[in-house]
Amino acid sequence: MYLMADILINVIIAFLAGSLLLGLHRKIMARVQLRPGPPVIQYLLHSLKFFFKESSFPKTASMPFYVSIIFILAVVWIVGVIVGPVTENSLLIIFAVYAIYKIVEHNAGSSSGSPYGKMSCVRAVLSAATELPLFAAIALIYFKTGTLNISGILMYQSIHGPLISSIPLAAVMLFTLLLTKSPYSPFAITKGKDLVTGFETEHFGFLRGFLMMSESIAWYVMLWLFLVLFFGPISIIWLVIGMVLISVITGFINATTPMLNPNHSVMTQITICFVCFVGTIVMIFI
Amino acid sequence: MSFEVLGGNLLGTIPFGDIVLYLTPFNLFMFVVLLIFTFLIAVSKTETQVEASLVKLENTNKNVGKKEFHQRRFLAVICGIASAGAMITGDLFDFTLFMALVGILNIGIVSAVRQVSVLNSAFHYGLIAMMCSLPLFGGAAIILAATGTLSLDILSTMHTTPMIIFGALLMLIGVIGESGVAPFFATKAEMFRTPGSPFIIIIHLSSLFIIIRAVEIFLLVLM
Repeated sequence: MYLMADILINVIIAFLAGSLLLGLHRKIMARVQLRPGPPVIQYLLHSLKFFFKESSFPKTASMPFYVSIIFILAVVWIVGVIVGPVTENSLLIIFAVYAIYKIVEHNAGSSSGSPYGKMSCVRAVLSAATELPLFAAIALIYFKTGTLNISGILMYQSIHGPLISSIPLAAVMLFTLLLTKSPYSPFAITKGKDLVTGFETEHFGFLRGFLMMSESIAWYVMLWLFLVLFFGPISIIWLVIGMVLISVITGFINATTPMLNPNHSVMTQITICFVCFVGTIVMIFI
Repeated sequence: MSFEVLGGNLLGTIPFGDIVLYLTPFNLFMFVVLLIFTFLIAVSKTETQVEASLVKLENTNKNVGKKEFHQRRFLAVICGIASAGAMITGDLFDFTLFMALVGILNIGIVSAVRQVSVLNSAFHYGLIAMMCSLPLFGGAAIILAATGTLSLDILSTMHTTPMIIFGALLMLIGVIGESGVAPFFATKAEMFRTPGSPFIIIIHLSSLFIIIRAVEIFLLVLM
């Protein structure tokens, strides 16, 4: 009973905090580009609004896959909250959750029958390269701490100090993943404006509401993971400050950087991953 | 390296002689997700892919024919089951068999499509998959020769030797090639242009999940 309440509270916090942080991200981007931008609460209001909008489904869609894939996305990120903030379980499950997110990008795009969604689907296959920084960061954390359980990694940091000071390049890799995940990112090739809104193009009404809710929870989980993995057990106030700071930094980068083409995006991510991985291995063993 | 350190608390084991199937939250999560996707694939219709026609001001609809639909659905379901098996197996040889089966099925799922670019892509992926089956099985054989067992339960308690590392590296090459991930995904991406969304998703899903499971297995064997 206590666990269920814990999960429910954490999911609600993740949704609300994630929505506000994404709203802040959008506001920062607007201010950097000398626009007033929407209010910070706008993303949250949009998410809630879509649940009450009329829903329609393309007659070309693959049913019931087209609908169920969106629910799977929501459930998967709720699992992310359970594995992360609630139970502090295995990092490998978070890796799997992120992999399923890529699958949803892929299938939500292709299942509608839209050419924009289809192109987003093909790019989702190419953008599997975004998994590399996550995988490499997880591997390096494991080499350093000898465990993949988040609770074990937290215990290691409470004894040996935060990992950001011992393996900073691994933090750079995970930050690259955060940057990739943030809206209007230079690496967000699946949602490029040449594809309207990519895999989300043909999802309306409550389906878009679920998509936006999942994006909010995902942003919160990824930020929480980054701060916990590299700064150790920190208080709620520092957690909030850290999340706001990362949202501001990514907003600034995204506002000033154009979107890369798919080949450049993949090669940039692989290069960052390779340089940071080799650098960290050298730092650990020499 | 114990199972708990990698996948969370041990929920239970199913021993078959020295081969012990084990369930951690990690294995169980991956297994259940694959079964859910397999079920959805089995019950879903395919989409109608809309494309702009050349020269004319109209759209072209691309559908999956009935015969092709049955064939591809069957292969996709088998692929889902094989991938689910790879998530909970406690035996290195079983894992390589599931991996090889997934590689063959991935090609099979798009082999009935009548699009030259898609078939070309499947052909190139098939060549890589065939070449990589040698290091895949060779690596497992070397680990067997060096340790006398293929049980992950026993391998996880053994000290690492140079031959085990060599075998694991060969297996890694095999898994990367068979699943067609980076740097081989470029040959595979074209396969996804074909209609039949529920079927082609399993190609992507099985590859990603098997890579994640392979990470766990390599850490178990090497650390």
